[in-house]
Amino acid sequence: MSPNLYPHLRTAIAVVRRSALATTAVAAILCGLDGAAAADLRVAIAQDATTLDPIQSSDNPSIWTELLIFDQLVRPSPDGTKLTPGLAESWSVSKDGLEYRFTLRDGAKFADGSPVGAEDVVFSLKRAAGEGSDWARFFKPITRYDVVDAKTVVMHLDKPFTPILNNLALFSASIVPKAQVEAKGAEFFKAPFGSGPFSVVSWTRGEKIQLKKNPGYWQAGKPAVDGAVISIIADDNSRVLKLKAGEVDAIVGVPFNQVATLKRDPALNVGVAETFRSDLVQLNTTKKPLDDERVRKALNFAVDKDALIRGVLHGNGKPAAASLPIMVYHDPALAPYPHDPAKAKALLAEAKAENLKLSLLVAGGDVTARQVATAVQSDLKKVGVDLTIQSIEGSSLFATTKAGNYETALSATTSDTIDPDQLIGFTAVNPERANAYHTQWKSERLNELYVAERQTLDGPEREKQFREMSKIVHDGAPFIFLFHPGTAYASRKQVEGFKVLATSNYRLEDVVIRP
Amino acid sequence: MTLLRHALGRSLQLVPVLIGITLIAFFLLRVMPGDPATLILGSRGTPDEIAALTKRLGLDQPLWRQYLTFLFDLLRGRFGQSIVYRTELGPLILERTSATLQLVGLSTAIAIVVTLPFALLAALRKDRFLDQAIKVVFVVVMSMPAFWLGILMVMVFSVHLGLTPVSGFGEGLVERLRHLLLPSLVIALGTSALTIRTLRSSLIAVLGADHVDTARAKGLRGSTVLARHVLRNSLISTISVLGVHTSWVIGGTVVIESVFGIPGLGSLLVSSISARDYPMVQGLTVTFAVLVVLVNFVTDVAYAIADPRVKL
Repeated sequence: MSPNLYPHLRTAIAVVRRSALATTAVAAILCGLDGAAAADLRVAIAQDATTLDPIQSSDNPSIWTELLIFDQLVRPSPDGTKLTPGLAESWSVSKDGLEYRFTLRDGAKFADGSPVGAEDVVFSLKRAAGEGSDWARFFKPITRYDVVDAKTVVMHLDKPFTPILNNLALFSASIVPKAQVEAKGAEFFKAPFGSGPFSVVSWTRGEKIQLKKNPGYWQAGKPAVDGAVISIIADDNSRVLKLKAGEVDAIVGVPFNQVATLKRDPALNVGVAETFRSDLVQLNTTKKPLDDERVRKALNFAVDKDALIRGVLHGNGKPAAASLPIMVYHDPALAPYPHDPAKAKALLAEAKAENLKLSLLVAGGDVTARQVATAVQSDLKKVGVDLTIQSIEGSSLFATTKAGNYETALSATTSDTIDPDQLIGFTAVNPERANAYHTQWKSERLNELYVAERQTLDGPEREKQFREMSKIVHDGAPFIFLFHPGTAYASRKQVEGFKVLATSNYRLEDVVIRP
Repeated sequence: MTLLRHALGRSLQLVPVLIGITLIAFFLLRVMPGDPATLILGSRGTPDEIAALTKRLGLDQPLWRQYLTFLFDLLRGRFGQSIVYRTELGPLILERTSATLQLVGLSTAIAIVVTLPFALLAALRKDRFLDQAIKVVFVVVMSMPAFWLGILMVMVFSVHLGLTPVSGFGEGLVERLRHLLLPSLVIALGTSALTIRTLRSSLIAVLGADHVDTARAKGLRGSTVLARHVLRNSLISTISVLGVHTSWVIGGTVVIESVFGIPGLGSLLVSSISARDYPMVQGLTVTFAVLVVLVNFVTDVAYAIADPRVKL
């Protein structure tokens, strides 16, 4: 391009820009006349929901959306440390732990205006425990329901099962309108409504879910917005650009390498949520020499977790001491393995496992996982362990470790509930569901504690049990404990109260858009 | 009439293609480790629960029976239920097909509009500065990864100039066009990088042919010679390239779909493979086969229009 052309180009751009502004102004006026669309909160997330039927969902986008539509009897506090009243105004547990009595909130209404009654509760929970539910096991401990009156339900258990109350806070324990579901069946869940803050207006799969507020929602004055649009933008960079361009008000999932830059942008608010997640390297304890506890400990000493958090997560995470994320009954006094290559070498020598060769399975296409794997590889090289990284198609990873066809594998676990029972069962108990998450590591003492914990009412006693279990997992080292990564999110300055909770979801009923 | 007969012939071609391609898709996917029930229940399911879900999904049947069931359902025009979405496949795929066709249609149109002038210029200025410049620019464009080119364009046109939306699909004709403009342009630039080269070489070959000299000699205007005698004679190979490339674009725009938030077929296929949504992958495979045969048919028709010697 010749230099004298450049000013013309600039003029051209300026003209285009001006006319674009004019167009926008006209469009704004037209929209202003139209009115309604202005007070919708626009949120962009990476993936679409797959189904809005709570008993058939297992992916985050579905779960997050269901939590905006439906109420549960109880719900986690925003920091995920305790249960607070939901649709049930109050509840009580009998001393023997066999009877749970719930009193429903007065004035709770489904979005069609009909009141929420005890019958709806019993119907929904029986449905969640029934055929066709992917979550039946979570509710099967309830063996009998008594409807005392329209506002009171009593649930009976055959034997004490402490996690049940937390299970009732799960999305799969959503209270659905009985009459509607009975009449319409699966069709109802294509555009469902409940007694939650929002209901579905339309769902264009792969593109967006349009929500409108439930005018009869029981929290007075909420939601503050008329509705919400959840749009699906798979690409991380596009999502950020969309926020910057003002096409959306909030986004979930900011790439860690952009968090610092976005924090400097005066038009935006950026947050990093501590969600329930642990990133681990599974160690197959049936393969020699990983059957030797000293070798597994050595690997833990060899990896520099703080460097991983700095380098890969750009500081947005915490080092892990055991398999349990930072949640209730987590032991803050349990320190992660320090980075100590000398000690690692000594332990390896003691176990006669020098010049060790290992392979590490990594989900292909996962860029962060790849970076973590490379860092772990170079850390282990320094203590004489030769780690070969083996990429495997992401969805094959679980099946492959389950079949035991691996030496070590990089993976992550997340919790659906705010109770540590689920993840302890998964990552520490053998056999239970997953043979201590496919490492085949086993501790009889821990197995006993697990049985006891489930029958101990919440309190200091149960805390002691979980802390002891975590300590056993830490010492047994069936994994290389890496870190608990955060979830980064951002919103425009005018948007107040948008945040990702410890349970990974967001409560749009708490959001206010300032003019 | 011949057009109809040709269309019929092309559809008949579909039968062996479909059988072959569904067989491959069906069995390859099942050889991969990881089954839908385990993926759905994951950390939460006991072996019993996973077995129960497998049964509910009908995946406990022998493979050959599952395949036959699928074929018979297909013959009756039924695709079955998606495992992930737990609902009928038909409407899901149809929605996505429409989005993909709009994207492919617009990008092909843009590609044609971009190709013609640049190829003509390059051919007429063969080996001169303009020819080299066009070559360099399009080679650079072609070497850029689509997501990067996409993001770059978004930064310039959407974030700085505010001309087009960053992403999304839009409602209504005008909004839809505004939303589809950038993604189509990114695809079209990739396509034209190929077609400009092809068209340029055929143009150069034809420009040197005797009949062009004859046309000039009998006093026809330069533009008439170009349009009637040169361009038309040079189009055949470019149409082939465009046809093949368009078939690829139908399923190959995953990255563009993800950058621009367009609910197309490509991203659905990738996510369905990851989730081992067998019925969905089968349904999509069939859809792709039909679309590719359709593109081939359109290509044939384009041949016939460009060159009267080609009979359908």
